[in-house]
Amino acid sequence: MKGYVLEQIEPSKFVLQMGPHHPATHGVLKLFLELEGERVARCRPEVGYLHRGIEKLAETKTYPQVVPLTDRLDYIASMINNVGYCVAVERLLGIEPPPRAKFLRTMVCELSRISNHLLWLATHALDIGAMTVFLYCFREREQILWFLEEICGARLTFSYPRIGGVRIDVEEKTLEKIDRFIDGFFQKIDEYEGLLTENRIWIARTRGVGVINPEDAIAYGLTGPSLRGSGINYDVRKHFPYDAYSEVDFEVPVGKHGDTYDRYLCRVQEMRQSAKIVKQCIQKMPEGSILAENAIELDLPPSGKKKLHPEGWSTGAFISFLKEKEPLLPEGEIYSAVEGAKGELGFFIISDGSGRPYRVRIRVPSFIHISAIPKLAEGQFLADVVAIIGTLDIVMGEADK
Amino acid sequence: MKQLLKKILLIDLIKGLLITLRTIFTQPVTIRYPKQKREIAPGFRGRHALVRDPETGKERCVACLRCARVCPSQCIYIGYKEDETSGRRVLTKYEIEAFRCVYCGYCVEVCPVNAIVLTEFYEYAAYDKEENYFTKEKLLQNWDEFLSLYKHQEYINKFWYLRGIERIRLPYEKRFPTPIRIKKEG
Ligand code: SF4
Ligand code: SF4
Repeated sequence: MKGYVLEQIEPSKFVLQMGPHHPATHGVLKLFLELEGERVARCRPEVGYLHRGIEKLAETKTYPQVVPLTDRLDYIASMINNVGYCVAVERLLGIEPPPRAKFLRTMVCELSRISNHLLWLATHALDIGAMTVFLYCFREREQILWFLEEICGARLTFSYPRIGGVRIDVEEKTLEKIDRFIDGFFQKIDEYEGLLTENRIWIARTRGVGVINPEDAIAYGLTGPSLRGSGINYDVRKHFPYDAYSEVDFEVPVGKHGDTYDRYLCRVQEMRQSAKIVKQCIQKMPEGSILAENAIELDLPPSGKKKLHPEGWSTGAFISFLKEKEPLLPEGEIYSAVEGAKGELGFFIISDGSGRPYRVRIRVPSFIHISAIPKLAEGQFLADVVAIIGTLDIVMGEADK
Repeated sequence: MKQLLKKILLIDLIKGLLITLRTIFTQPVTIRYPKQKREIAPGFRGRHALVRDPETGKERCVACLRCARVCPSQCIYIGYKEDETSGRRVLTKYEIEAFRCVYCGYCVEVCPVNAIVLTEFYEYAAYDKEENYFTKEKLLQNWDEFLSLYKHQEYINKFWYLRGIERIRLPYEKRFPTPIRIKKEG
């Protein structure tokens, strides 16, 4: 009797399309995964599902009209996008906002950063399986959104900064409320940390997952907490200060190992630092104007120049005016970056003097972080891919523009 | 040794559980939305309305077209004709396509006579697309609807006069903010 020969099973690859509608992909990111058993052999991210052509659209708007467009980039912390754009245009046109505006902007930016990190912590923990943190984080995030609503009348799409300052002054009682909230907030951060930092399940799921060494992190162009988790101290707020960041005192937390756990620690520490900055801003808040003398008007061209034209102002008159007369605004080009909630957020703007940007290019951190997903995910378990997407803190509105 | 003891005694997990246990004794922060409603901050940018002037009972708009020009999404359509005798502009059409609006509030800011406003009314989801295409009559009706729900005696929108900006930089009408008095029937 002949013995049976077991058929040899070929280790074949299994292809899994993760997303674009997967709750853990934070929006409409699609990952094309080739699996060997449970290990990821190859990973290819696909982006572009949320492309709205913001850069191209910006070319058809005047400078003030682009501000609401930038809201739609990173909609979780849109205040920072607004400020980033306004800082870029101010540097281009040589406008210097008054001190009160600078402090107000710094304050709302840091509040936005806290709310972004809270949402990141909430969803990251939820992806990994910790439900409670999600509820706690949203409790505090809601309060921050209330403050921002009181300041500017919107909860997500703020359009609060203005080229040359801010739009509307903040009432004293709102500042007091924020101050009181920040006092209690440090204890809330301790609460999240009490739930996660020493928790063995959390450590098992995050330590040693998605490791990237400092050289690779720089080579991939990571910025923000994702870079600082690898131990590199780079922060636009410290190295190229804008607004009032040179006048407030804060530290830049850095990690050591460059894994998911260190990036988690970095962001939690960053929340503490942001809260400190908000507190200092409220203490040091100077009195005075909130809009620069030479700030450009909302309604371009400015009223002084409108009178020059005999036929009144239609779009046709506007264009012919530009062709014949001197430019409305200075010409030139600039790259200016701010520290977004996710990383370095840069705006490259060319002005041809027409009152509309000739070209806007936005350097968004999320898009660049997505390019690092294959590096982090290949060779890891499928379950860790979810942790890796979470730890890079990507938002597709920003990546796809 | 200490680490091992901590591990065996489940210190890390108990620490977390204590925090959740403490939360049981706190007040819930959530509200039951359709029944309970939260206070909306003054100046919230909600549904558009054309202000009905308490004296004339008509809209205040003078058809200067500033709002249509400044609107980033170009969703305000205005038509006007010129009055033969006085030379004033008379508004014939004022339409806002709310689906395209980005709720930036620029129109409220630039209007020289405080005619357009983003009210604090936010529950206007509709089954019919037509309902959120606001014509002039609909916009005036929005204003009445908003006022009927408004609790205070006077209304002034914070984007009309922009706190903190020097008065001299605002149009003449906006330099001296005059709130709208609300007459309530009954
Ligand atoms: S709020 Fe902004 S987008 Fe909406 S109608 Fe007014 S100017 Fe246009
Ligand atoms: S800016 Fe005011 S007055 Fe001018 S057209 Fe618009 S609503 Fe009417």
